[in-house]
Amino acid sequence: MIGSSSALIGAVVLLALILVWIRADSKSPHLPSVPDEWLPDQAGAAEVCPPEFVSQIFSCQDLEFVLGLESPDLKGRFLQERSAVALLWVQQTTAAICRIMSRHLEASRLSEDIEFAVEARIFLQYAQLRLICGVLFLLIGLAGPHRLHGMALRADELTRRIGNALGEFESGAREREMGGARSS
Amino acid sequence: MSAVVRLVPVQEAYDDLLNRTLSRISCDLGRLIYLASTRDYNTGNYYHEGLSNRFSMDVARKALEIAHRQAFYKVSAFPLEDLVSDLEVYLQSTRENPQECLRAWQKLEPYRVAFPTEVNLTVARLFTSNLRLALAILRFRREPCH
Repeated sequence: MIGSSSALIGAVVLLALILVWIRADSKSPHLPSVPDEWLPDQAGAAEVCPPEFVSQIFSCQDLEFVLGLESPDLKGRFLQERSAVALLWVQQTTAAICRIMSRHLEASRLSEDIEFAVEARIFLQYAQLRLICGVLFLLIGLAGPHRLHGMALRADELTRRIGNALGEFESGAREREMGGARSS
Repeated sequence: MSAVVRLVPVQEAYDDLLNRTLSRISCDLGRLIYLASTRDYNTGNYYHEGLSNRFSMDVARKALEIAHRQAFYKVSAFPLEDLVSDLEVYLQSTRENPQECLRAWQKLEPYRVAFPTEVNLTVARLFTSNLRLALAILRFRREPCH
């Protein structure tokens, strides 16, 4: 009895969170991407960074090479440069996932048959990704990108997973609409 | 069907560009700088007279654009150590004074014109960051007191 009522309360809380999130996200402005220098126009930019570059930005290989040169100045410059690139990646990932989720929320609002389990899963993945991005943002300057390789790859994987799930959701919704149009 | 017909000449033009022109350039950074230099600053269109004569202007443009993007992503993905070696080969191939070249590159950052038109922002930032570091490393090796 206690177990089922806790599950019910949990489901209601989760539903309330999703509703609050849908309302809040539709009102909030998108995160601006603020590069620290001149970079190409973002309008035509490819949205998500290819995974091999994420791995490279957060890898130890380049740091080991620089350490081998035995120059504190070069080491300092390397850490500064690589942290700036890593922070830009976190910003870009956060902005990209916000754009993807906004598109999804718009599609969800227009859709007549929302599956609660799918929405809850996407919401939890989104919350996890935002949390990881927040932690990465704080830790990059403190620990250096090379110590956060696993976390960055996890964030990249989640971004792709959410993107794929939403792609499937959108194509499924289109198929249902076309099926409905054919039957009517 | 029409897409296949259109893509085949682009592939041929790309192979031609690779075999006749790019294979003569000694390093990947040199190939990238060369490809970026075939783009008009005002219009963003690519031009290559020989390639346009052998194929059409549109096909040549497309092949150059693809080759430029590929060269850019290849150089951006280099580990720092490989980029330093490639940069060294490039500086030697210019036949200019390498010290002067190094200083000019550090000051003017001319490699920024090597970005393709549509590029991921993080990759673009990684590219400039790695080149800055590679230049600093080469200068450190040549002038350790600097």
